[in-house]
Amino acid sequence: MNFEGRDIISMNDLTREEIDYILSRVPEIKNHPNKRILCRDKISAMLFFEPSTRTRTSFEVAMRNLGGKIGGFYDANITSAVKEESLWDTVKMHDGYGFDVIVIRHPLKGAARVAAEAADIPVINAGDGPNQHPTQTLLDLYSIKETQGRLDGISIAMVGDLINGRTVHSLTEALLKYENCHLIFISPRDLAMPRSIIDKCNRASNERGVSFVEASRIEDHISQVDVLYMTRIQMERLQERALAEKFRSIYRLEAAMLGDAKLNMKIMHPLPRVTEIAQDVDQTPHAYYFQQAKNGLLVRETLLALILGAIT
Amino acid sequence: MKDRPITIAKIDSGIVIDHIPAGKAFLISQVLGLNALARKTGDIIAIGINFESQSLNKKDIIKVENLSLTRNMLNVVALIAPMATITRIENGKVIEKHKVEIPDRVGDVVVCPDRFCITNHEQVPCKFVIVENAPLTLKCHYCETEFFGPLIRYKERN
Repeated sequence: MNFEGRDIISMNDLTREEIDYILSRVPEIKNHPNKRILCRDKISAMLFFEPSTRTRTSFEVAMRNLGGKIGGFYDANITSAVKEESLWDTVKMHDGYGFDVIVIRHPLKGAARVAAEAADIPVINAGDGPNQHPTQTLLDLYSIKETQGRLDGISIAMVGDLINGRTVHSLTEALLKYENCHLIFISPRDLAMPRSIIDKCNRASNERGVSFVEASRIEDHISQVDVLYMTRIQMERLQERALAEKFRSIYRLEAAMLGDAKLNMKIMHPLPRVTEIAQDVDQTPHAYYFQQAKNGLLVRETLLALILGAIT
Repeated sequence: MKDRPITIAKIDSGIVIDHIPAGKAFLISQVLGLNALARKTGDIIAIGINFESQSLNKKDIIKVENLSLTRNMLNVVALIAPMATITRIENGKVIEKHKVEIPDRVGDVVVCPDRFCITNHEQVPCKFVIVENAPLTLKCHYCETEFFGPLIRYKERN
């Protein structure tokens, strides 16, 4: 399998075999004796049209860890975008500057696909609005595989704002490529998983033995699951502040609730967390969210090394 | 039945799009860009609305005095009129007759309904994949939004 020069725009472009292959290369990068010079002389263009903390920093550090360099911008307000330059033109221009790869984040859906069509060099989508964020999904999958030893047959509960959360949509779609997964969608009714995703789960239930339920209480499911994937109730998405406060108090995980959890159960979260995971959970052996974020660095290093042809 | 002798004249060379549900001919003409074609070539385009039809009760019909529209281009008609037939005529003779087929992909004839899609903010020609034929469901190549029914809106072309 060869990823050199390939765009990573959407999880929908990757087959199960390709996902498995990418994840299988992570240990090599983790322990590579020449890691610091793998991407020497390579430069990544960071085109960040909207703010980002984790994704931006981890891509930056990943590139530096591989011996490469970075250029670009982190604030579209200082670029020609304020002069109404089109995305196509901005990408085309960077494509001609001698970069080896483009990492793009943009507030509009589909922007990364446009960038990939404009550029000859490979493009990695670091989030196109509420649409896709494939490196987040890959690091989620890596974290599940790392802690559970497999992706087939895992039992996972996704909790919180399931209607607006792009990470849970993308993770669900990715897990539907695997066999016999059990998915539990826990949310207030107003924030339930969108119909289009539920339809996909229904289709996969016949083809791949996937089972799923929609539920409303975390407590009812903690003892069954291998992974508890928590998400933030996004205050900015709810009209009524009081409602958001209420949901936040209901969908809150505390250490005392974990008594019946399986030994292997891990709690994940795409971060940032607000109140949905109490700080006392951090001390339990189930807490995995900071390690998960750290895995993001490894997964991004692996992806960059594969795309830049430093490893095969 | 009352005798209603209005007809569209025969064409010597060109394409007849028949069995269009009544009221859809203008939309099809718009999607195919027939107005622009006529302006460019000077060819005659006849649009008939509400003709009697045995199978549809009422139907529309379009005759295009031009042969440049390919089978692929005409398949987009199937999105609006799945039962439409295409007859290709040369020198007064029928050389080909076929039903339209729903294509796998369509180009810049539909508008993406997602207001956060890049195609609604920048000049990017739209592309869609047809993910289901019934109900006709499209997926935006860029933002990956799937949509059907009244959300399928066609671009206005002059």
